[in-house]
Amino acid sequence: MFEFFLKYPRSVYEQGQFALLGAWPKWVLVLLIVTAAAALAVLIRSRQAQAAPVMQSCRSWVIWGLQTLLAALLLVLLWQPAITVAELKPQQNIIAVLVDDSRSMAISEGGLTRQAQAVQALQSGVLASLNRSFQTRLYRVDAAPARIDSLQDLQPKAPSTRLGDSLKQLTEETSDLPIGAVVLLSDGGDNAGGIDPDAISALRARHIPVHTVGFGRERAAHDVELEETEVAPRALADSRIAARVTLQQHGYAGSAITLTVRDVSNGQGKILASRIVTLGKDGNLQTETLLFNIGGAGARTLQIAAVPLPGEENLANNTLTRVVNVGAEARRILYIEGEPRWEYKFIRQAEEDDRMVQIVSMDRTSQNKIYRQGIADAKELADGFPSRPEDLFGYQGLIIGSVEAGYFTPGQQELIHEFVDRRGGGLLLLGGQFALADGGWNTSRLIDLMPTTLPTEAGTFHREADPRNGTTHTTAELAPAGLDNIITRLVDDPAANAAKWKKLPYLMDYQDPGVAKPGAQVLANMVTPEGRKLPLLITESFGRGRTAIMATGGSWRWQMSSPLGDTAHDLFWQQLLRWVVSDTPGHVTASIPAQVLLDNGAVKLTADVRDPQYNPAPDTRVEAHILGPGGVSARVEMAPVPDNPGRFQGTWTAPKTGAYLTEVTAQRADPATGKVRELGRDVLTFLRMDGVAESFHTEQNRELLARLSAQTGGQYWKPEDLGKLAGRIPFSEAGVTVRETRDLWDLPLVFLILVLLRFSEWWLRRKWGIV
Amino acid sequence: MKLSRPLYALPVLFSLTVGLYALQFGGRRYTRYSYSDGPTVPSEFYWSRLQYNSGYASGGSFGFRAYGGSWSRDFPKADNDCLIALRRLTRIHSPSALNVVDLDSDHLFDFPWIYAVDVNTWTFTDEEAKRLHDYLLKGGFLMVDDFHGTDDWQHFMAGMRQVLPDRPVEDLRDQDEIYHVLYDINEKFQIPSEVYVNTGRTYEKDGYVPKWRAIRNDRGRIMVAICANMHLGDAWEWADSPEYPEKFSGLAFRIVLNYITYAMTH
Repeated sequence: MFEFFLKYPRSVYEQGQFALLGAWPKWVLVLLIVTAAAALAVLIRSRQAQAAPVMQSCRSWVIWGLQTLLAALLLVLLWQPAITVAELKPQQNIIAVLVDDSRSMAISEGGLTRQAQAVQALQSGVLASLNRSFQTRLYRVDAAPARIDSLQDLQPKAPSTRLGDSLKQLTEETSDLPIGAVVLLSDGGDNAGGIDPDAISALRARHIPVHTVGFGRERAAHDVELEETEVAPRALADSRIAARVTLQQHGYAGSAITLTVRDVSNGQGKILASRIVTLGKDGNLQTETLLFNIGGAGARTLQIAAVPLPGEENLANNTLTRVVNVGAEARRILYIEGEPRWEYKFIRQAEEDDRMVQIVSMDRTSQNKIYRQGIADAKELADGFPSRPEDLFGYQGLIIGSVEAGYFTPGQQELIHEFVDRRGGGLLLLGGQFALADGGWNTSRLIDLMPTTLPTEAGTFHREADPRNGTTHTTAELAPAGLDNIITRLVDDPAANAAKWKKLPYLMDYQDPGVAKPGAQVLANMVTPEGRKLPLLITESFGRGRTAIMATGGSWRWQMSSPLGDTAHDLFWQQLLRWVVSDTPGHVTASIPAQVLLDNGAVKLTADVRDPQYNPAPDTRVEAHILGPGGVSARVEMAPVPDNPGRFQGTWTAPKTGAYLTEVTAQRADPATGKVRELGRDVLTFLRMDGVAESFHTEQNRELLARLSAQTGGQYWKPEDLGKLAGRIPFSEAGVTVRETRDLWDLPLVFLILVLLRFSEWWLRRKWGIV
Repeated sequence: MKLSRPLYALPVLFSLTVGLYALQFGGRRYTRYSYSDGPTVPSEFYWSRLQYNSGYASGGSFGFRAYGGSWSRDFPKADNDCLIALRRLTRIHSPSALNVVDLDSDHLFDFPWIYAVDVNTWTFTDEEAKRLHDYLLKGGFLMVDDFHGTDDWQHFMAGMRQVLPDRPVEDLRDQDEIYHVLYDINEKFQIPSEVYVNTGRTYEKDGYVPKWRAIRNDRGRIMVAICANMHLGDAWEWADSPEYPEKFSGLAFRIVLNYITYAMTH
């Protein structure tokens, strides 16, 4: 239709430049148009008095407008309008035809694979048409482009597609060739996550338009796909951790599906968690959480899967794999309590079941006595609360109970601040008669690391007034942020969990912790006897560490007043204390951007190294020792990152698929003795998997293909429209071109407008009864 | 003489009436009294004495448990003296008045430390035994005192076996943490009742040897601390008597403060 009225393809108008070829100056044209308009106006006005009554209104000016437009259009045509556009010179340019050769092109739809459809489309005249005016070069593309002699050489078996890399490589390899255009036949399934801007820049620098032809259904009829699974890359042994599974489905709205987490580390595939969920609306992203115990120490490979439903078209996208490094080293928490109280006893009792978290505690039993528990030897804490970094920083977490701020010296307060900020430890403050605002913490050095703005006045701590009759109850309930949080998850099902919190026995006391600061998360609230809703559990990240307030000293009642065997109290405290310590770093913290490498073994290792006082340690020798499948072993020297003291990086390429274990060690010479000492070490795991990504997002990614063609001056085509491709290809500024001038005066649209203008005037005059 | 017969019968009738009236407060039909000697003050620690049925009035159905029953021996002075020492010598927040915990009430679970005396007379219904069983296993602590000799021990254990059928009773050693949590108590001796003042005997019945015993949970935490062949309650109650030796009261105070501190830390 476009070319019927406008004679040339759309791209001619998009790329061409408008011109008036008439010899007379353009200002003459403008002058004549204005003169014609004025003359017609004078003529109409002079005759308006003698005109029929119906024309003695604005109707006469409508007629003037139509006549003026007609005159203007005729005058423009006299100036010979035209368009100049670059065109490829016939037989002097090369058209690169790229056919996606990845595994997803083997998906069969309508009896033919996607690649067979592409071949059929090319062979049904498109290639012949192109060959009449240009040379064509055939390529197959997957991870890289490769020239082929014939379409018969295509075999859709490549494990991945990297369109951006392939196009960039093509432009580099053909830099001395007159590539006039690229025709890319693909389903748009790109495993690199999109087209690299560098590839677009390379194409635009040479003005090469990429015409994309999309194959494959844009939406599956019956499929469930796991879009993403988030699992913490590290965990303590026997931790209860969460897998957040995001899935999308088509054709199964309202159906029930089973999600599972399996441990496939040892080949047995033991099911760690299983949950039946109801699928939401078609096409919607749905996130579900599965909780499970990660088990003992070591590298764990987890398979998170959606059990296939009947009639699913693609089963390979129902499973995702993640790796978790489970640490064996127990974490130690220093718990200081200002008075004997039940909360202390029941927290310790809850932690007895957690062998990975050890509480070392000091309790001020009398004015002159401190009772220590959980100490490693008689010297530990013998002098009271630590005053030196090397003593306090040996712990991963710190709990401050009912202790006045004034109990700590300014130096100790500063040390606690550094414990969180620099050392990366976790700090938990409990409610109590000497805690928070009542303990003077609102004017302490630690005020900025509190997750709340504490009340300015004391009197914020309140006990149950009459426990003999239980008449003034303060109850707990989940806040929105706590509905899906591993700390507050007492039962797996979110709705049941919220109900469980509502049913918890009332608290024996509560304390107003103030208002949560921006960035802090309120996970649970409490409702006081007066009906006030106050934050109960608030968490916040601070510096390298984290802080939390549990604004009560009376949660022990959850244990004593729940039925025997109810695990809510113990589970809550175990999960909260694991949160306090599980992310506390050691002297060496190693990381990689992604723990599952898909189709590409390149890995960038990063390590943050700290000295014994947890200051950055730049003068360190850092090395990674990597062990992989099939006896792969490598040592990677990591180099300091400029302007980032204590940070080291190294790159390596995993040669084989499988699981890799990496141990990063940091050593440096002792300034005093010159003897080399190890600062610390860290272990991480990663997994290389090839061919997996190709099974995901198998629907045609039309958006990516259309964006690619739009950004390069090409066009997105449906296979059925390919017949017009040959007519569109010549208009390109790449390769060997010539500028052509095309007349516009003889466009069918121009004549149609001329006729319409005259017809409109006649029709209006007839309607008004003056013809 | 005709008139004197009915007059003789009057005391008998009066006694029967009072007796029948008193039985209305026995067993399950007793009236719940408040035994505190002051208003409740919100506290972290409440000195809590266990109120239970005494078996001598028959096996529980008509067990006597009103004030004046076995459970209330030496109450309130013994408890009050102990509470005063607790407030003076520890940082335990305990401003509230004395507290009596009814074994028939779920508010038992609001007081993780309870003290019981004359436990050779206690009897439990199945429901009461289960409540005390759950209380101990969830984290509660029970201190028992003031029973003497072989018969008392057997009666005490009959009740205890109803509560914790399979838990062994063990002798506590001087090195046990419970004797070092607040005071280092390395020497213990028999603590007699106030009978000692008149007789010079430290024992009663055939309870010649003091038994410092305990029942632990699976993790070794002491749930029940047993002071058999002794009477710590009297040692607190008579601590201000010139005739009652200070050494008995001093040890009794140190023992109970250690037991309470242990209960709040283990």
